[in-house]
Amino acid sequence: MTAHYQLDDDGVVVIIGSGAGGGTLANELAQKGIDVVLLEAGPHLTADDFVNDEWGGYEMLSWLDKRTSSGNWRVAKDHPTAPSWSCKVVGGTTVHWSACCYRLIEDEMRARTVYGDVPGASLIDWPITLADLEPYYDKAEAKMGVTRTHGLPALPPNNNFKVMYAGAKALGYDSVSTGRHAINSVPYDGRPATIEDGFTITGDKVGSRWSTLNVEIPRGLATGKLELRAECCAVQIEHDAAGKASAVVYVDAGGMTRRQKARAVVLAGNCVESSRLLLYSTSALFPNGLANGWGHVGRHYLRHIIQTVWSIFDKPVNMHRGEIMIGMLDEFAHHDPSRGFAGGYYVELNSMGLPTTAAFLDPGWWGRDFASVMEQYANMAGIFMSGEDMPQPDNRITLTDDVDTYGVPVANIHYDEHDNDLKMRSHGYKTLSGIHKAAGAKRSIEAPAYPASHNLGSNRMSARAEDGVLDGHGRAHEVANLFVCDGSQFATGGACNPTLTIVALAIRQADFIAKEMAGGAL
Amino acid sequence: MAIAHKDPKLPPPEPIPEGPEWIEELGPFASVGETLAVLARTLCPHDSLPERCYRRVVRAQDRIAAETQALGVTVRDFCALLDSRMPLPFAELSESYRVNILKTLENEPAFIFLQRSTVRFLYDDVEVWEAFGYEGASVHLGGYIHRGFDDLDWLPNPPSGD
Ligand SMILES: Cc1cc2nc3c(=O)[nH]c(=O)nc-3n(C[C@H](O)[C@H](O)[C@H](O)COP(=O)(O)OP(=O)(O)OC[C@H]3O[C@@H](n4cnc5c(N)ncnc54)[C@H](O)[C@@H]3O)c2cc1C
Repeated sequence: MTAHYQLDDDGVVVIIGSGAGGGTLANELAQKGIDVVLLEAGPHLTADDFVNDEWGGYEMLSWLDKRTSSGNWRVAKDHPTAPSWSCKVVGGTTVHWSACCYRLIEDEMRARTVYGDVPGASLIDWPITLADLEPYYDKAEAKMGVTRTHGLPALPPNNNFKVMYAGAKALGYDSVSTGRHAINSVPYDGRPATIEDGFTITGDKVGSRWSTLNVEIPRGLATGKLELRAECCAVQIEHDAAGKASAVVYVDAGGMTRRQKARAVVLAGNCVESSRLLLYSTSALFPNGLANGWGHVGRHYLRHIIQTVWSIFDKPVNMHRGEIMIGMLDEFAHHDPSRGFAGGYYVELNSMGLPTTAAFLDPGWWGRDFASVMEQYANMAGIFMSGEDMPQPDNRITLTDDVDTYGVPVANIHYDEHDNDLKMRSHGYKTLSGIHKAAGAKRSIEAPAYPASHNLGSNRMSARAEDGVLDGHGRAHEVANLFVCDGSQFATGGACNPTLTIVALAIRQADFIAKEMAGGAL
Repeated sequence: MAIAHKDPKLPPPEPIPEGPEWIEELGPFASVGETLAVLARTLCPHDSLPERCYRRVVRAQDRIAAETQALGVTVRDFCALLDSRMPLPFAELSESYRVNILKTLENEPAFIFLQRSTVRFLYDDVEVWEAFGYEGASVHLGGYIHRGFDDLDWLPNPPSGD
């Protein structure tokens, strides 16, 4: 039953990366009877391998290959060689994520029109509308088992949420709820309900959370159409004389360099890696990198306005117990120029164990004050935001002179904060601290952003070829059989956590690829 | 004080000698073990924590240095610098003098390594988890669903389903 394709089989769709985008697309295509080779740089782990341990899990799952960073973002100082945060395992970062699932709203998909001309920002409108995406959001929510959709019950409030709820209600933020998550509150789709263990982010041993590791990939493999090649790292994409993608060069688990021929190639390596591969795939026809004729590959990189406030209360909270991010209010989600900045943000929950709270509270902070805050860990609550950052052409992924173990140049991520970003950060910190204060906080600490967990925009889709890299189906403007299926295709970032949209776009892209193939165009 | 659990799949914490012989088990940092333990306590001063918690930090730092030779040299040079600032060695200074010295050295690569790694290892220690109320691994105990994930009782309960 297991599929096995020859290296010179040029009838296969080759997908690079098995996370939210690539893993979903692989299954969707295989379900339609399309032959797929899925290359994944990381190992194929199982629930048994995972540990309930913050650093143990981090070291087991994370993408630790070197990167560098520059720009005035705090991340470049705090995490100079690990500026973005993702995983290198079968299932990608869906093995780690905390599964908040929110939809983009209509205004966000027309950001240039609605926000107007924001100086210094390279805003565009999406080439597709919310109406184009809605049927796919429905499908994504159903496949992921998102709470409060399709009749699935909400996740129950935990201790950290009780704090958020009390503060939000006191301030009249009546939208506050436990939010929507791809984590089972009741058994669903063969997966159990959560046991509130608090360790979804180290792999989720219980399996109550959707991931491509536990849902999409096994189902794709069962069709006999999908071949998964773990520990196979793509290093370059080749094209034929006509300028169509023809093969992917990769290094396998044994260190051998292989060349898999392809009918179509899809990049789904989590933004930074997808741009890095395109930039490195140069040729006489594409001297600046594949699909980079307009120079947008790597540019307009986004990472959301993400930050946490940690507050100390008189009495115990025990925030580490239970699911991590189950709280949301959307009073600030809509664009409202009276706030003095463009775009919106969602208020959500965050909790961490003692080890990572200490590491992320304020990297570099030491002494009596720091220690006294840590001693009150049991009485600490966390509250978080995800908001829209402004695209800027010079916030970008570039190749450095340093090379990795495969000989591929190490990526640098450059990010300068836009004034709009800083205004939103300040507004957001006030909102987050205000909610905790209204619930009785003695002290709040504004923690800086941790390494970028929402990596977006660096191969963006655009209506006009000169404004981006991809069309509205995630297909390269310049290479008809080359696609991108990760967050780098976002035209703008929107405010909410991106993964539901990545999955919806993958399902939509699968329909498009199948249609093009059936019509003989691909 | 909480009861904390390390994931049973991971190796249990290794004991560390209570006497001065803990230093003898060190590699590249054998000559500066005492200084580094005092440094760790100065960076993260918890009066309630016993000396062994800080010694375990130094042991973990020593193991990193054993794999990167240059780091050992940088850190030993840094310790010599700490000792040269006052008429007494760093480890014998009172806290305010130690703090003042460190404040002038925050941008040194050795300081950055030592500060980050102290935070990395001190708060990843089961004894420290118990002291500050972090309970650790939970799946092997059935999660927290019947062990207090929603036991906060000093605020009103949200309506269920919210
Ligand atoms: C701490 C944290 C919490 C998060 N929580 C949420 C949340 O609550 N809600 C939400 O919406 N999002 C969340 N996210 C973000 C979410 O994980 C990502 O949006 C999502 O996983 C991105 O999907 P992707 O397919 O682009 O990349 P990934 O899921 O990261 O998958 C990419 C895969 O490609 C592989 N790869 C890369 N390069 C190559 C190569 N050259 N060859 C072969 N394979 C390669 C990688 O190894 C990886 O497995 C969180 C992220 C983090 C870090």
